[in-house]
Amino acid sequence: MADVKVDKTLDVRGEVCPVPDVETRRALKDMEPGQVLEVLIDYPLSKERIPANVEKEGHEVLTIEETGPSEWRILIRKK
Amino acid sequence: MGVLMGLITGFFFGIVLQRGRLCFNSAMRDLRLFKDNYLWKAVVLAIALETIAFHFMASMGWITLTPKPFMPVGNIIGGLLFGFGMVLAGGCASGVTYRSGEGMTTAWIAAIFYGLFATASKVGFLKGFVKWLQGPAFKVEASSVSNMYTSGKVGPTVATIFHINPWIPALIFAALLLWYVFGTKTSQRGGKGFNWYTTAILVTFVAMFGYWTRGTFGDKFYTLGITGGWKNIYSTFTGKHLEWEGAEVLGIIIGAFIAAVASKEFKLRMPRNPITYVQVMVGGVFMGIGASVAGGCNIGHFLSGVPHLSLGSLLATLFFILGNWLMAYWLFGKKVRG
Repeated sequence: MADVKVDKTLDVRGEVCPVPDVETRRALKDMEPGQVLEVLIDYPLSKERIPANVEKEGHEVLTIEETGPSEWRILIRKK
Repeated sequence: MGVLMGLITGFFFGIVLQRGRLCFNSAMRDLRLFKDNYLWKAVVLAIALETIAFHFMASMGWITLTPKPFMPVGNIIGGLLFGFGMVLAGGCASGVTYRSGEGMTTAWIAAIFYGLFATASKVGFLKGFVKWLQGPAFKVEASSVSNMYTSGKVGPTVATIFHINPWIPALIFAALLLWYVFGTKTSQRGGKGFNWYTTAILVTFVAMFGYWTRGTFGDKFYTLGITGGWKNIYSTFTGKHLEWEGAEVLGIIIGAFIAAVASKEFKLRMPRNPITYVQVMVGGVFMGIGASVAGGCNIGHFLSGVPHLSLGSLLATLFFILGNWLMAYWLFGKKVRG
């Protein structure tokens, strides 16, 4: 998925629960439809909860990639 | 033997908490903030299963039920304080304990201050203040209603208030919870953790093992708890012995650590803004005082006390939830709704 153009990056590594979820929502709200949000995260619960919740809102989860020890990169396209 | 059994109980509890991502703070908060009931279903199913399991074990004579005392003022005030605290700390009593084992440095700070202030509430400078906030405590002679209860005075339950067989309210309560769990839609969740019902079933087995081992080899007939365990650990610095509950808390941290390492989820996590450490510290202080005033935390009261249908545990749990929702609304509500 290296060819996807990222419009905004959100680095929420190390943040306490549920800051990653809340900040992801807020970032998506401020973006234009079709734009791609990159979320960098290291917290297992949020890494599973964020994709489930953004899909419920209608956004598209493009990829969940493991980038390191307990670190992930999630790409979300705003609907 | 009690210490060893506590350690084993905690070890398995820690694995289940970590693999199930079972945080009560998240369970309560997500229900309202994100309209997500995934973890909440795990909690409710575990409570339904424990209700049946504890009453069954007591009927068989393997354990005697020891509900916590009813403290109307303390359950309400302490419940609210604890509810506020867990949102600030980013985790409930069990949440900050198991995440300590996952390498979350904010959880270390929250757990340290939570334990410290819980201890200070029992033996230290906060003792008088906490006693005053707690108000009166009520206990009843429950063994005259049913021999399933521990003899002597214990906290009132639905069964002892109405002088009925404890199985009657237990079965009605469990049936209502199961009806909710399987009759309503459950949020979806991917990932490599345990799914919600596996988590609930495993928690029930751990709680059953805990009840039996704590009563048989430990300090009293009760099951999982966190607050008393942290107090126990702190009191060992003043020469007291480690007991079942303190060993259980150590077991949780070890179990969560091993589960996290085995699933490649262990990492030292540090927030970029150091103010976060202050926030979780304040949260830990609120949790320590709140749990002491309420007579228990989300494990002692919610997970372990509610299956007894103890009035005190039911009331405290209601206010844990209210406190959680209020603080989550103040901290995150605006950001989520925009």
